[in-house]
Amino acid sequence: MQEKKHMAAPLRPAKVVRTTRQQPLTGAANKHKTAPKRLKLLVTVVDRAKAEFYMDLLQGFEINMQISASGSGTAPSDILHLMGIEESEKRVILSLVREDRAAAALAMLEEKFKTIKKGKGIAMTVPLTGVIGVSIYRFLSNSR
Amino acid sequence: MKFEHEMILCIVNSGFSGEVMDAARACGAGGGTVLHARGTASPEAESFFKIAIQPEKEMVMILVPAEIKDAVLHALYQKVGLQTPGQGIAFALPVDGVVGLPGQVSEGNSKT
Repeated sequence: MQEKKHMAAPLRPAKVVRTTRQQPLTGAANKHKTAPKRLKLLVTVVDRAKAEFYMDLLQGFEINMQISASGSGTAPSDILHLMGIEESEKRVILSLVREDRAAAALAMLEEKFKTIKKGKGIAMTVPLTGVIGVSIYRFLSNSR
Repeated sequence: MKFEHEMILCIVNSGFSGEVMDAARACGAGGGTVLHARGTASPEAESFFKIAIQPEKEMVMILVPAEIKDAVLHALYQKVGLQTPGQGIAFALPVDGVVGLPGQVSEGNSKT
C-alpha cells in the first residue's frame, strides 16, 4: 500500500485585511472621540457669613472641589469708620469648574449678588493651562 | 488672546497690605481682598542672596482693567518690591469672566 504523501497546501500570498471603516469617524461613531474640556478657576469673594451658602450653590454646577480662605476687604478706613465697621471680613472661595459650566455659574452668582440680602460679592474666572494626573482631571471635571 | 480684566496677586510681608492698596489705587485700581498666608523660602537661597524672608505674609488680590495692569505692577515694584521692607512680589493672571463689579454689564470679557 502506497502511503499517500501528505502534500502541504501551496502557500498563498497574505491577504490584505481591510477594516470596514475606510472613512473618518463621523456622527455617532465619533462621539467618544472628543477633546477634553478645559478647567477654570472660579474665584468668588463674599462676606464670611454667606460663604457656606454660596459653596452649596456652586456644587450644583458639577464643582467637585472648593477651597475657602479667610480674607479682609480693603475699603478705605475713613469709609469704614463712617459706616461703623472695623473691618469687612470676607471669604475667598476657590472652585475648579469645567469651562462649559463656568458661564452658568457666573450668571447664577451675579443674580444672587443682586438679590440676596447681604450677599453682595464679586466673582471671576481664570483659565487653567494644565492639570497633572488623569484621575485628578476626571475628578475636577466630573467626568463620570 | 487679550482680556479686559486681569487679577494682580501681590504677596508682601504681613502689615504691608495698606501700602499695596495705596500704590494700586494711585494707578486707578479699585478695591482688593487681603488673604493671610505663610511663605516658605529656601534657607540656602536666603544665605546666598543675603536676604532674610519673613514667613508671615499677606496676599492681596486686586482686579484691574487690563489697561492699567502694567502701571499697577510697576507701582507695586517701586513701593513694596523685594528691595523694600515689604519684600513683595506681584504677578498678573488673565481673567476671562467677571460678575459683581459696580456698573458692569454682565458678559464674558475675553477678546481674541
